[in-house]
Amino acid sequence: MFFPREMSEIELIVPSKDLLAVTKVLSGYGVFHQTDSNYPGVASGSANTWQETAAQYAALERRVQTVMQALGIEEGQPPSSDFEAMVETESIRPMVDQIEEEVRTTSDELSNQRKHLEQLESILHQLEPVGDIDIDISSLRESRYMFSMLGLMPSANLDRLQTSLARVPHVFLTLRSDPARPVVWLAGTKANADVLQRAARSAYLDPLHLPGDYQGTPGKIIESLRNTIESTQRKIAELQETLKRLGDERKEQLRDLLWQAHTSRVLSDAIVRFGQLRHTYVVTGWVPTDDLEELTRRLKAASREILIEVLPTSRFGPNQNVPVSLQPSRLLQPFQMLVNTYARPRYGELDPTLLIAITFPILFGAMFGDIGQGLVLALLGWLMSTGRFLKSMSSLGGLIIACGLSAAFFGVLYGSIFGFEEDVHLFGIELRPLWMSPIHHILDILIVAVGAGVVLLILGFLIGIFNYARSRNMGHLLFGHNGIAGLTLYVSLLGLGASAFGLLPVATIVFVVPAVLAAIALMFAEVFIHLVEGHRPLYEGGFFTYLIQAGVELFEVVISLLSNTLSYVRVGAFAVAHGGLSAAIFILAELFSGLLGPIGYWLVVILGNLFIIGFEGLIVGIQTMRLSYYEFFGKFFTGGGMRFEPLVLTPVKNEE
Amino acid sequence: MAKSGVSGYAAISARVRAMYSSLLSPQDFARLSDAPDFPTLITQLKQTAYSPYLENLKDKDMTPQKVDLAIKGRLADSYYSVIHMAPEHARSLLKQLYRYFEVQNLKAVLRAIITDPSWERVQDVLFPMSSMTVLPAQAMLEAGSVAAAVELLQGTPYYETLSFAMKRYSAEQSLFPLEVALDLYYWRQLWQEAKKLQGQDRGQASRIIGSLMDVNNLMWVIRYRIYHQLSEEEVINYTLPFGYHVRDEDVRAIAAGADLASVVGRVFPGIPDLNALLDDPRAGLPKLEIELKRRLMQQCLAAFTGNPFHIGVPLAFLILSDLEIQDLTVLIEAKSSQMEDEEFMPYMLRQVV
Repeated sequence: MFFPREMSEIELIVPSKDLLAVTKVLSGYGVFHQTDSNYPGVASGSANTWQETAAQYAALERRVQTVMQALGIEEGQPPSSDFEAMVETESIRPMVDQIEEEVRTTSDELSNQRKHLEQLESILHQLEPVGDIDIDISSLRESRYMFSMLGLMPSANLDRLQTSLARVPHVFLTLRSDPARPVVWLAGTKANADVLQRAARSAYLDPLHLPGDYQGTPGKIIESLRNTIESTQRKIAELQETLKRLGDERKEQLRDLLWQAHTSRVLSDAIVRFGQLRHTYVVTGWVPTDDLEELTRRLKAASREILIEVLPTSRFGPNQNVPVSLQPSRLLQPFQMLVNTYARPRYGELDPTLLIAITFPILFGAMFGDIGQGLVLALLGWLMSTGRFLKSMSSLGGLIIACGLSAAFFGVLYGSIFGFEEDVHLFGIELRPLWMSPIHHILDILIVAVGAGVVLLILGFLIGIFNYARSRNMGHLLFGHNGIAGLTLYVSLLGLGASAFGLLPVATIVFVVPAVLAAIALMFAEVFIHLVEGHRPLYEGGFFTYLIQAGVELFEVVISLLSNTLSYVRVGAFAVAHGGLSAAIFILAELFSGLLGPIGYWLVVILGNLFIIGFEGLIVGIQTMRLSYYEFFGKFFTGGGMRFEPLVLTPVKNEE
Repeated sequence: MAKSGVSGYAAISARVRAMYSSLLSPQDFARLSDAPDFPTLITQLKQTAYSPYLENLKDKDMTPQKVDLAIKGRLADSYYSVIHMAPEHARSLLKQLYRYFEVQNLKAVLRAIITDPSWERVQDVLFPMSSMTVLPAQAMLEAGSVAAAVELLQGTPYYETLSFAMKRYSAEQSLFPLEVALDLYYWRQLWQEAKKLQGQDRGQASRIIGSLMDVNNLMWVIRYRIYHQLSEEEVINYTLPFGYHVRDEDVRAIAAGADLASVVGRVFPGIPDLNALLDDPRAGLPKLEIELKRRLMQQCLAAFTGNPFHIGVPLAFLILSDLEIQDLTVLIEAKSSQMEDEEFMPYMLRQVV
């Protein structure tokens, strides 16, 4: 629960004769993350053969998809029949060729007719604005003294074309305003034809080209065009009908072909990455240890001679190459999403999901403590998670429920319900703060908030130390900012502060010594870490430059410790602000009750509560996220783990 | 209601600052620059935040091109994180910024159709955009012709632009009009997205995006005039009338044949040896571009001071990440070609001590 799923590295030696059966098991079970074993020394020429086979299947798959697209057939679900085997390309190619040929003739004709229709409509579009002119269109083109160009151009280029011709006498008219393809007319003297043509071309002005059989006045051409457009549209409708009939006839067959090609392609893609010895194949990859037994059983059933070597992976030490599969938990899924938005844990690194599932709602609830508003928020979260409200954000539902319930719990502690804090009776019981009302104990709540922050930061340090220890990163464990030296400095500074203010009956010197030692360790952390790790040189650049840099770094560490701690003041401050905002709403409500009576009062109270739930809820949520990401995660969470991507034959929904 | 200011940017600001701290420091760059050869450079890179992106590369794949592609995976991940965490109203601009790489991929595919339509080679130069792309790159390549490939873009934002430019491609048989049309479309859309924002977001976006456009626009206008020797009206039609420092008057002046050094010097005062740089533009232009990018980098760094709750912070971070990759590419190329420090250092955006 605290760590990603335990993974085992496996190496399989597969006899050539069982290659397909084994690949089918590996791809079909969906727990095997393949790594490339086709490395030099192992690979032979067969990798290229399989690469070609995979390319052939991929081509077939794409061809089937193209045909299906032309016929308007959706891929649908994988068929129930046993399609998980690799089929010979030659066994499905003739069928693909045949259907493709049947479809291609009609669809090519359809495509040509559509293009023809588009051209006709484009010409009509350009001619309509000059439809009333009673002159032969060819006389414009053949004018002796005037250059003239009618055509379409991208609307975005209109202004630029005019700017480019600022120094050339010309007439430029937009005959038809169209947001995408306006019809324009550019004219000037024949002497400037070159310049005008160059400008028009560089502005992508597409001049009207009338086919030879369209002659005469624009009016006559338009009439003829409309007739041709009508007959082309009829032809297109007939071709579409033919394709629909073909689609109905071939739908099931095409889907089967698609899945056969798809699974064969997935299997051959996997084999491409196998290494081949003389009579065997080497397969390497990762499996969640929980699934290893079942996978082994299936592999043995598929191949009696298969050799399976399992290399258990230590959770200790650097494990950047191990894929990370997080523990699946429906309850923790919203928090897992929160963690993954920041980063994916590395293998062996503590998965902070459970921690964040506890701390996030607590921090939110402490800032937003109110029974009524908390329960409304929880209800909204429930409606979201069940898809009844804001369906697109259903993944956030669980998180909002937890935050709402926590807010309601803190509402009980603060004695607040929908902003009412005094003289409230709930089911005959007078509502009193079980703990304290933040607005009446401002200093107390701020001190408690900083105290909670100190506890969380120390927890963050401890987890960071734990992670360093597990990854055997001794340099950072001892001397890192978030390691033992960092924690010692932090605790010593806290002790010094407490002792100086008389809160701790301990002599200041007790904290001074560890603080100085920790400060020295941090200041020269780079040197110490390089010493431990055996890196040389111990520091970069000159000694005095390094000394100055180390001093500045220590200063930065101390400042960031201070700011991290004080950052938690916001938890108390928001609890106080929450009370203050509620009080402001009641003052407004009193004002409105004077104008509109009790209706005005309750209207303001209801609207005010909705405002607090929406607006303050959002801000508090962001603040909680900030505290979690910036102050808490920053102390121990590195992330950057590799995603576990098992081989699968059919597309499945992502893990998260 | 669009969330802006503190409520909209609190989460992304925290996340971006965390990501910003993982950008390479001057010390990291100094260490990388000191690497005596390419394998050492890779070993050093593996000790940085780029490590997860290099771990999966096998030794035989440790070529400069593959490494360059692998480290770009980090930039892609940064874009993915930032876009997904950005407030709704800011997402369009960030997505449009990201489309730069899609446009570059589209150009690469179109070029490959003409030169070498082998998917194995092409995929090694495509920016790894994973699911955040609308390009059916492999299908386009296999379509066999530029016209057929463009037809496959129907329904994407590029189709309309390319369908106009295709008329010229058919006539001229050159990709130049297609590439120019794509560039103009991309930058106009980006500017429009920036101008759609309100208040401080708009100001920050105009400053950063405008500065980014300045570099491109100025380079275009100079190159069109000097390398392509285009006429004044063509240069104007192929450039943009907006930016942060570079105004339309400047573009038009250069297009009309004004003295380059005086225009550039007026727009970007303080560029050292500007006259010498532009005396021999073919050698000087790359250096001028580096200088302008250094200024862009300073603009981006400035976004991290003061109020952090605006679009400027994520925009600046993404551009800085991109510039970091550009520097790493220089280092990768330099170390793999065993260049001396003084040969490649002038091309680094960061001044490595």
